[in-house]
Order: sequence, then C-alpha cells, then structure tokens
Amino acid sequence: MAAHTLKKSIWSLGRIHCHIYGVNVRNPLNRATYATALSTNHSSQNKGFPDRGNKGPFNRRSRREAGDPRTDRMPVDQDWTTVYPTATPFRQGSVPLPVRMGFPVKKGVPPEKKGNLELIKIPNFLHLTPLAIKKHCEALKPFCTEWPSALDTGAKCDEHFPVKVECKDYVSAGTSLRNPSARIVHLRVSLSACVNYDYAMYLLTVLYHESWKMEAWESEKTVADMEEYSWEDSPSQKNIMSTLVRMQVAGEGEGEAVREELLGRPEVQEYRDSVTRLKNEGESESSMHQYRDAVKKVLNL
Amino acid sequence: FLHYSLSIALPPLSYLVAQVRPLHGSGCGQQQEAVGMEMRPETFSIFRTQENDPDCQSEQHQGQYYTVPPSHFHTVFPHGLPPRYQQQVKTFNEGCVMVRQPALELISHLKRADYSKPTLRYLLYGVKGSGKTMSLCHTVHYCSTQGWLVLHIPDAHLWVKNCKELLPSSYHASRFDQPIQASNWLRNFRTTNENFLSKIKLRQRYVWTKRESTEEGQPLGELVDMGVSRVKSSSDVVGAVLKELRLQAGGTEGGFRLAVAVDGVNGLWGRTTLKKEDKSPVAPEELTLVHNLRKMINNDWCGGAVIATLSQTGSLYAPSSAYLPQELLGEEGFDSMDPFIPVPVSLYSEKEFESCYLYYLDRHWLQHPHSQTEEGKKELIFLSNRNPSVLERLCAFL
Repeated sequence: MAAHTLKKSIWSLGRIHCHIYGVNVRNPLNRATYATALSTNHSSQNKGFPDRGNKGPFNRRSRREAGDPRTDRMPVDQDWTTVYPTATPFRQGSVPLPVRMGFPVKKGVPPEKKGNLELIKIPNFLHLTPLAIKKHCEALKPFCTEWPSALDTGAKCDEHFPVKVECKDYVSAGTSLRNPSARIVHLRVSLSACVNYDYAMYLLTVLYHESWKMEAWESEKTVADMEEYSWEDSPSQKNIMSTLVRMQVAGEGEGEAVREELLGRPEVQEYRDSVTRLKNEGESESSMHQYRDAVKKVLNL
Repeated sequence: FLHYSLSIALPPLSYLVAQVRPLHGSGCGQQQEAVGMEMRPETFSIFRTQENDPDCQSEQHQGQYYTVPPSHFHTVFPHGLPPRYQQQVKTFNEGCVMVRQPALELISHLKRADYSKPTLRYLLYGVKGSGKTMSLCHTVHYCSTQGWLVLHIPDAHLWVKNCKELLPSSYHASRFDQPIQASNWLRNFRTTNENFLSKIKLRQRYVWTKRESTEEGQPLGELVDMGVSRVKSSSDVVGAVLKELRLQAGGTEGGFRLAVAVDGVNGLWGRTTLKKEDKSPVAPEELTLVHNLRKMINNDWCGGAVIATLSQTGSLYAPSSAYLPQELLGEEGFDSMDPFIPVPVSLYSEKEFESCYLYYLDRHWLQHPHSQTEEGKKELIFLSNRNPSVLERLCAFL
C-alpha cells in the first residue's frame, strides 16, 4: 500500500515535471492522433521510448495498463441508452462500430476510429436512438395533460378552432441555429367558417377599390420590378425588329407600317412566344430547342 | 459488304477486327470507311477519316477523327486550343479532331448563310467538358481553310480577371486599357492572318500621339505591328483593328469574310475581379477591350459570322452547375446576343465514344491491360459518363 502511494506520488511528481518541461506525456512521441494511417497503438511493449531500465522521471513500467475497450464486452442485445444516456463526444471504446473517417493519405483508406480526432470533433446523435426517444416520451407523459375528450373528430376541432397556425422547426447539426425555412408560418382560415360575413365583404370591397388606386411612386416601376417578362418594348423585340428591317424582309416602306406587318407574321409570333417562355419559365433543354427553331424560322435559315 | 472482305484481308490485329461489328448501326447509314478513304491496309481504321478538309466533311464522317495538317497548327491555332489538348498533340505527335455533330451543323450554316444580311450569331453551349471549345476550333479551321479572316479570342475571361496592369485609357477618360493582354492578342492575330495584313488598307487616319499616326491607305499590318511594339496604345490599336475589319468585311471590292470566334463569351457581361485604385470594382464595359469586342458581337455589320461558346470554367461568380445560355450570359448578355442560334453540344454518343476509345488504343495511350478488355471499356463508360474531358483525364492515368 505504501509502495503504491509512493509510486503514485513519484508518478504525479513526474507529471508535474514534464508539464514544466513542456513535454506532452499523453502523447510521448508527439504523433498526430488523427488522419494518419499509422497505428497509434502504444499499449504494448515499448511505449515508443527506448528502455531506460526503470530510470528517469518518465518511468513507463509503473503505468497501469489500459484495459480492453468496452466494445469487447458488449452483448448484442444491450441497452444502448445506458452507454450513451446524454450527448457526449464520441468514445471509440464505447461504440462497437467499425467507423472510419478522415482523408485517406497516400493511397490509404480513411483512418480508423482509434485515436481519431475527426470523429470526436463532429456532433453525434448516438444518444438519440428511437428507443431513447421513446424513453424520453414515457418520462414526459406524466407532465402532459389529456387531449380534451370532446374534440374527438376533425370537424369539431375546425368548428371550435377555425384558425390554424402551422410553424415548422428544423433540427440540423451545424454551425448555425438558424434555418431560413423556419421563418415561414402558415395561417389557415376557412372562409366558410367566418362568422362575420358583412365585415368580410366590407373588407374585400375596400381592398378591391384600394388596389385600383395608383400611387405616385408606382409610375417609377422599372423593368426589373416587373413580375413577368413582357416582350413588347423589350430589348429582344428591338433587336429582332432592327435585324429584320435590315434584312429587308418586308420590303420598302415607312417605319410604322413595316413594324406592324413584321409583328403580325407567324414566325415573329413564334419567336416572341419562345423568348417569353425562356424568360418566364426559366431555361431547359426543351425551351432552348423551341427558341432555336423559332430563331431559325425568323431569320430564314 | 465491302468492309467484311477487307477485314479478312487484313493482318490479324485483334482489336481492329473485333470492333468491326455493327457499332455504326445508329444514324449514319453507309459504312463511312468505304467513302472518301484510300484503301491502304496499314492505316485502315474505323475511327479515322482521310478527309482532312473540313469543307468536305459531312455526316458520313461523324464520329471519326481527321488530322489537322501540322502546317496549319501554328498558324490557325496559336492560342486557341484547350491546354490539355495541346499536351495531347505534343504527346501523340499529331493533332486529330473528332468530327462531331455541332461542328458539322455550324459549318453547314456557314456554308448556306447569306452574307449580305446582318451577321448571324451562333452560340455553342453544353455541360462542362462536352467539347464546345473543340467544336469552335474545328469551325475556325474550316473558316481558315476557306480563306476567311479569323478573329479568335481564346478566352474572354482572360480579359476580365488577373490583369496586373490597368492603365487609364488615353482615348476615353473613363475606360481602362490592358496593354499586356492586348499586345499578346495582337501578336497571335498577326500569326493567324499573315496574308490579310498586307491586303487590307485602312480607311481612316488614326492618331496615337502628337508625333505618331497611321495614315489612311496604309496596310493593316503596319497598324498591328505598331500595336505590338507600342504596348501602351495596344488596346486602342485592337479597337481600331476591330473597327476596320467590321467596316470592310463583306465589302464588294476585295471583300473577305470575317469570322469572330469568341470562347467564353459570357465573360463579357457580368463582373470582373479587377479593381480601380480606390478599390471599387471595374465594370466590364469600362475596359476598352471588352467594349470593342461587344461592338463586334452586335449584328450591325455584315459579311461574316460570330461563333461563340459559353464557358463556366474560368467564369467569375457563376455556379459550377450552370451551363444554359441564360444562366451564364445573364440578362444583359442574353439581350445583347439575341437573336442568336443556340447550338447544343452533348456528351459523346455511343459511336463517338467507341471512336475515342479506339483512337486511344491505337495511340497506345491506354497501357493498363484491363482497359483493353470489354469489362474495362464498360468501366470507362460508367466512370466518365461519356463526358469527353473526363474520359481524357481518366485515360491519362491508365
């Protein structure tokens, strides 16, 4: 017993010393513990230090041997919730899965889980297996109230609670708490359920008339503000008009008449439709093909 | 069938005979090797054609490789080819280009177009690595063999990024010059179009400084030489050259056809990574070179064609999955190019893939023994998804 405490005190003294000297005892060779394909298993013989014959403060012989990892003693039907009851970092000795993670260096494979810092860094959900969640629910049940027995059909719920608000929450493992899709809230009201019909009609009439009023700033609406693309007065129309005029397709004539005539042609209509489709619907192979055929027809190829 | 009898007469080159199965069943009708080919047994190959003149190539030659004569390489393509392809040319000691449908379509349009009408713009688009630049080079080769004047801008993105020197333009106060890029381009332009330089005469007098000016009636070569030597005014020289060519193309006396080939045309509209001295960003239209090139792409001149490709590699601020015209050109670009003829460039078809595979085998490029088996070929198809550039990179490892 005394010898044991003496050993321990020497050991702790040794460790203090090495903190002073700045040597990392836990990692005697200062090898990186991650992203290497080399084995970091120091447990057997030498511990990487040449045998000094029990001399010096870094006496390895008295160190307690590390035992077998817990995974060796895990039965298949164990209760996982006892292994990981709460959110804890990854412990390679507790997870009986042959997981590999990291960059394969020099035609190697991703490094194994032993001593793998990458696995420790990432968040894990090992504490949230379905069984664990069931247990949580069971534990929370005493704190919940009963569903009101009168509201047993959907129709009754709608009748008493006509306004439904739907919010969504998102869970993800990442650096940020926020998810922009969580800002969208749906509020549903069934119009037939509203009680005050007159007030509703009044509101709708007011809105309708208000929408017809033009504000002064509305005249400043630019092309960039438009909800939809309109081909009239667009650069596309100007281009095709000038091209066709220069190609002298319509023959001689003055400005307006020629323009009207050109605009009335079926190829130009097709071209207009294809450009509008491209701009409004976005691009796809089929719309590009349609545009291509329209251009070929318009330019007479 | 002619080709079966030929195959018996050949020495037993196993892979050649093994490939003479109905792989040409799709599309192109008669066996191509019977047409336009000289029956020299040692060069009998399904993937090559002897028709080296782009003018005479047609759908029959689709999927086959034709050789660009070495003499043309330095004149026609001083700067236009993709870098990996240039390495391949050096390795294989020959430049072979596959005849593919987009290029054939472009060439047929160019043959049939009416050059008294305003210029037609053609835009090659497709996913990354599908062969747009190579199709453009094929078309440029055609134009060059037909005696057109070729204005090839190898990558418009090079003019909007990584520019070490930006001089304020002497000609226009708010614009910026790029002397290095302009003089490089002029040098390559001079190599490509040597024979035109003495024939085209300037129609206007250009004054560069108080003591230097180029008079009317001087040959274009002098202007270009001046631009190469006087690097400071080279951007303005480029502008002058473009303007002269625009005015004179398709002219009735001594008229020539002008092909403007721009690779990565989506770089002209969009953003640049260049900054002015007060760290505010430079818009593309404030660069002289871009401004002048945009004028060339308009269709207000006649007597030539504008062939452009979109390119996502090298483009700035564009997502890597974007390949459709509107995504890469943006609204402004689309409106400037409109109306244009989009030419889609797709991945290799089965036949083209076979052809490419046989070519690599023939050049002993595929050294790995497994790659010469059927299994290996299926693996290649699976890994590359018949994407030309991915296939080329994969085969480089084997």
